[in-house]
Amino acid sequence: MSLNSTPLPGTIGSKITGPKSSSLFGQSMRRLLKNKLAISGLVVVIIMFLACFVGPFFSPYTDNKINMAMMNKAPSLKHWLGTDAMGRDVLTRVLQAGRISLTVGLASMVLSVFIGALLGAIAGYYRGIVDQVIMRIADLLLTIPGLPLLFIFGALLSDWKIPTEYRMYIVMFMLGFVNWPGLARMVRGQMLSLREREFMQAAVVLGLRDRRKLFNHLLPNIVPLLIVIATLNIGGSILSESVLSFFGLGVMPPTPTWGNMIDAANNLIDFQEHPWLWIPPGFSIFATVIAINIFGDGLRDVLDPKQKR
Amino acid sequence: MSAYLTKRISYMLIILLAASLLIFSLYALTPGDYISNNIKLSPERKAELREIYGFNKPLMERYGIWMKNAFHGDFGYSLAQQKPVLTLFNEYIWNSFLLASVSTFLTWLIAVIIGVVSAYKQYSWFDTLVMVLIFAAMSLPSFFIGLFLIKVIAVDLKWLPPGGMLTTGSNATGWAYVKEVIRHMTLPVVVMTLLGVGSLTRYFRSNLIDVIKQDYIRTARAKGLKESKVLFRHALRNALLPAITLVGFELPALFGGSLIIEKIFNWPGIGQLYMQSFGLRDYPLLMGFTMLIAILTVIGTLISDVLYHIADPRVRLH
Amino acid sequence: MKKGVYLLTSLLIVGSLLLSACSDQKEAAPSSTNTTQTEQGSKDQPTATPAASPAGESGLSAPYDAADMSKLPAVAKQRTDTIIVGLTDPSGAFTPYFIQSGYDANVNSLLFSSLVTVDEKGLPIPDMAEKWDVSDDQLTYTYHLRKDLKFSDGSPMTADDVAFTWTLLFDKSYDGDSMIPTLPVKGGQAYKEGKAQSIEGIKVIDPLTVSVTLEKPNATALVMLGDKVLSKAYYGKDYKFGQLEYIKKLHSNPVGNGPYKLEKFIPGQEVRFVANENYFKGKPKTEHFIYKTSEGDTWQYLETGEVDYASFSATTENIDKLKSLGFVNIIPYTPSTYGYLQVNLEHEALKDKKVRQALAYGLDRQSIYVDANQGAGAVANIPSSPISWAYTEDGINPYKFDTEKAKQLLDEAGWKEGAGGIREKDGKQLVIHYLGSKSKQTDIFIAVAKENFQAMGVKFEPEVFADFNSLVSKVEGGDYDLVSFSTPMLTDPSDGLVQFVDGEIKGYDNPKVKELYDKGLATSDIEERKKVYKEIFQLLNDELPIIFTSYKKTVYGYNGRIENLAVSPFVGLANSLPDWSLKPAQ
Repeated sequence: MSLNSTPLPGTIGSKITGPKSSSLFGQSMRRLLKNKLAISGLVVVIIMFLACFVGPFFSPYTDNKINMAMMNKAPSLKHWLGTDAMGRDVLTRVLQAGRISLTVGLASMVLSVFIGALLGAIAGYYRGIVDQVIMRIADLLLTIPGLPLLFIFGALLSDWKIPTEYRMYIVMFMLGFVNWPGLARMVRGQMLSLREREFMQAAVVLGLRDRRKLFNHLLPNIVPLLIVIATLNIGGSILSESVLSFFGLGVMPPTPTWGNMIDAANNLIDFQEHPWLWIPPGFSIFATVIAINIFGDGLRDVLDPKQKR
Repeated sequence: MSAYLTKRISYMLIILLAASLLIFSLYALTPGDYISNNIKLSPERKAELREIYGFNKPLMERYGIWMKNAFHGDFGYSLAQQKPVLTLFNEYIWNSFLLASVSTFLTWLIAVIIGVVSAYKQYSWFDTLVMVLIFAAMSLPSFFIGLFLIKVIAVDLKWLPPGGMLTTGSNATGWAYVKEVIRHMTLPVVVMTLLGVGSLTRYFRSNLIDVIKQDYIRTARAKGLKESKVLFRHALRNALLPAITLVGFELPALFGGSLIIEKIFNWPGIGQLYMQSFGLRDYPLLMGFTMLIAILTVIGTLISDVLYHIADPRVRLH
Repeated sequence: MKKGVYLLTSLLIVGSLLLSACSDQKEAAPSSTNTTQTEQGSKDQPTATPAASPAGESGLSAPYDAADMSKLPAVAKQRTDTIIVGLTDPSGAFTPYFIQSGYDANVNSLLFSSLVTVDEKGLPIPDMAEKWDVSDDQLTYTYHLRKDLKFSDGSPMTADDVAFTWTLLFDKSYDGDSMIPTLPVKGGQAYKEGKAQSIEGIKVIDPLTVSVTLEKPNATALVMLGDKVLSKAYYGKDYKFGQLEYIKKLHSNPVGNGPYKLEKFIPGQEVRFVANENYFKGKPKTEHFIYKTSEGDTWQYLETGEVDYASFSATTENIDKLKSLGFVNIIPYTPSTYGYLQVNLEHEALKDKKVRQALAYGLDRQSIYVDANQGAGAVANIPSSPISWAYTEDGINPYKFDTEKAKQLLDEAGWKEGAGGIREKDGKQLVIHYLGSKSKQTDIFIAVAKENFQAMGVKFEPEVFADFNSLVSKVEGGDYDLVSFSTPMLTDPSDGLVQFVDGEIKGYDNPKVKELYDKGLATSDIEERKKVYKEIFQLLNDELPIIFTSYKKTVYGYNGRIENLAVSPFVGLANSLPDWSLKPAQ
């Protein structure tokens, strides 16, 4: 990247002349609203949320009653997306599943990005001993194998008699805590590079305080990066819920999630003979991922200080 | 630089020591052991076997024994496979390495090409199509993509074998052997590449978009340089430079094996062995493997930090 | 935008790592590891869900012959002297008694023959021993070996080898899972403790005759002791008491006496065998045999002709698909096991027989184990497999699904409906804490049981564990009410009863059962034993120290070119394998 990178006159100017950030925010929002593609992404996400949270109220099959006589029926007028291996309505389950998958996917994404960005930014900004400590802890955490960790979590939560419905959230939190090193390293690298730039030297010359330099000048520069990472990860986050369920750490059956619905079709026979078991949840994840990413791209463009205004 | 390296390497050793203790404790805390798995055994016999295997010794004592042996180059003896752990690694790791190295190479190559094209033609139909495909690959668990290819390419069309590394019973040698292995590795490599290429493409794309907007590119264009020259000489080089720092992080992945892919395609790799051993709680093997990966991870981090400095000299090593 | 990819790939890697864990463990559900001698090439398919028709009767009750051999894939047509069977991960420890899994046992059964084997009913028949005598006091067993037995290296096999094999197993450092050291062989304990140079009860009478004396009668001893034989010259060369380490070096180069010899072991890929010209029944008809390492779904290998033989869960859909392949013969098969719910008898509520019976009535086992599996299962009510000679339904309560009956029993036991429809007694709610390991079957169980228990007024709290091992650890901690298990393969009817007498089921101590158990082992007379077992079954069926759940049903699909194939529930393919031959391809 070039030596003469734009020193962001706009940002610095606004900061110096006082609290005009609301207008900056307003300005960004206006530009965002003009980006039709990004807005359509947002609309899709909102529709997904609405459908999942409100939709099931209109379904006659919300009780998820088991009906062996109706197992694995193809889509029909009565069951628009067919029935699963226990005769339950797939459409209703996909919608109910969305409630958990969307919530968990978004929550875990936000959590891991937050922890990673914070630690990375601190390490990259302060350098020296702080950096050494944080990064060596990160190195250590990177060497920890995930599998036994999950098994231990499972056993501990069970021994502590945490109700099964809350376990998932605790584990998500713990995973966010263990998973930060990757992102932290990335943010740190970015910080190390940014702080050598001219605009930061200017900030130093101006005698700005640490907090101000960090939050007003450096963080805005890594926000675009964070958005890209966060939105790219959303699919993985949703799928990772099914991984947790697998370890007895996620939701208990029969509660559906998109991840465990797809998992249920993990063999050639279902794959081939009962596509209605995996296409609906697969498509739901796909639609969510793509909508959030389109929106994320738009948001990135708007918030990136390097972009032309 | 050398002072930096010395410092980093000494840190590295401390981290590895801490990691070994941490990893050992983790496995020790993991519920179940090699004996509890065997439902045939009576409670007394289980106790007897735990005595023979030394499972009932205190944690620190077991750790001490393990470390002592490890320093003598003995990483233990697999309970389930009845072979020294290192022998097993040697039998399985290279198969994993073969898959990983080829697919990593392809992933990078394809990601660079697609990334450049879609960045250059940002928001074109090509860019959009690539994005849709990438997200589709990210929305389905990898076993699905694997199953799909096996079903279509191997079972229905019979173009490629459905799994394994050799045709069963084959005695092929030399060139025929190489050809056979290539045929068998095609599908898993395709899947691994598909899975990896998505995020890397997005990465290159957005890097390049950043670079194209820089002033020096504008300057280059203003000088009247040919567009292709601007793109490949100036833009691409600068966009790729930061990526080499990622190389270090690929190190553990190259030897770690891919768990799902190896399983779906029946590839005799270390990832599959690890999963199997985990189910059986074959701790000597699990410990050995995890330590190996830990060592590679730490080395990889170091390499990447050094490369980072080389790629962007503004970043001071300290 | 610097190290973006790293995080992404690392997340993907972790994600994939875990996902694969899923698929892997799915099969490692109960009863999978270390069950001996089940010849299931690939074990049961992860109980494939689907059903096109409402599930009901099992789809196949008699063998089915391939309808259209012309569909046979070219790969399979080309093979002239090789048969390939899928097998999950053999480890390479090919010394009998030192094997580490059921898969090694499969490999072993080709490399080594036994003195005595069992027929399809589980009754002893001669193999390398041409006959045997049991003394009148039921304590001394004398085996008479066939003449001219040879090991695969051409050396003769004698009674000395048999005595050596038995002695070795009583060594104090023996760490395998053979049950022989648990037999009350006279002097066995003394040898183990190092107080004797040899085992008093084992006597070599002449090169073809060997006898063993027990301290207490045990009807299973004949078959148990009549197992595989190690060459003393090869495996005993470096033997010193208390030191068995040396044997590990011999694992990869077995010297056996079975139908096949080990040709080559390619870890993670294949075990290749070649016919043993020294086999006592004559060299097998097919020159080469290969166990191909393959795990999980083996459809693709059978369909493409890469393996000749595979096992599947007997679901209607699997059977239909096998039939549609055209070139496979199908045989139905019931593994010799039973599934059950272990009940925590140390918990107050469950100590009451009426409560246990109520649970048995109130649980819709038909839906869970039969219908949801498309007929690939049957409901169990006694601790014996339906294929055992001791199996009976006479005087056995089938505990047919009946919520009303269950409610009535709970009322009688003093559990009355309280707040929220949950039954209470002395101010305590009736809560059932269920443990299962992650599998499709567990998911089905929880879904159905949740409805069933609610109808009974019982609070149901399910918990799922990632794999069998972590489930067992939790159970050992005692914090559960119900847990799903399945037995390992049972050869003798007493095998299925051990857990009621050896303290495995904590809190169950019934002197009557112990007495009958000993009585069942005290005689070798089958009719006599049948009577005893019937009595035990009736007793346990009424008392329900565990709740019996299900039997599995599987099918084997194999290349229609293979002739003379038979599968025994107890010894798998081993007995018929030497006779297998390949018909010329069409």
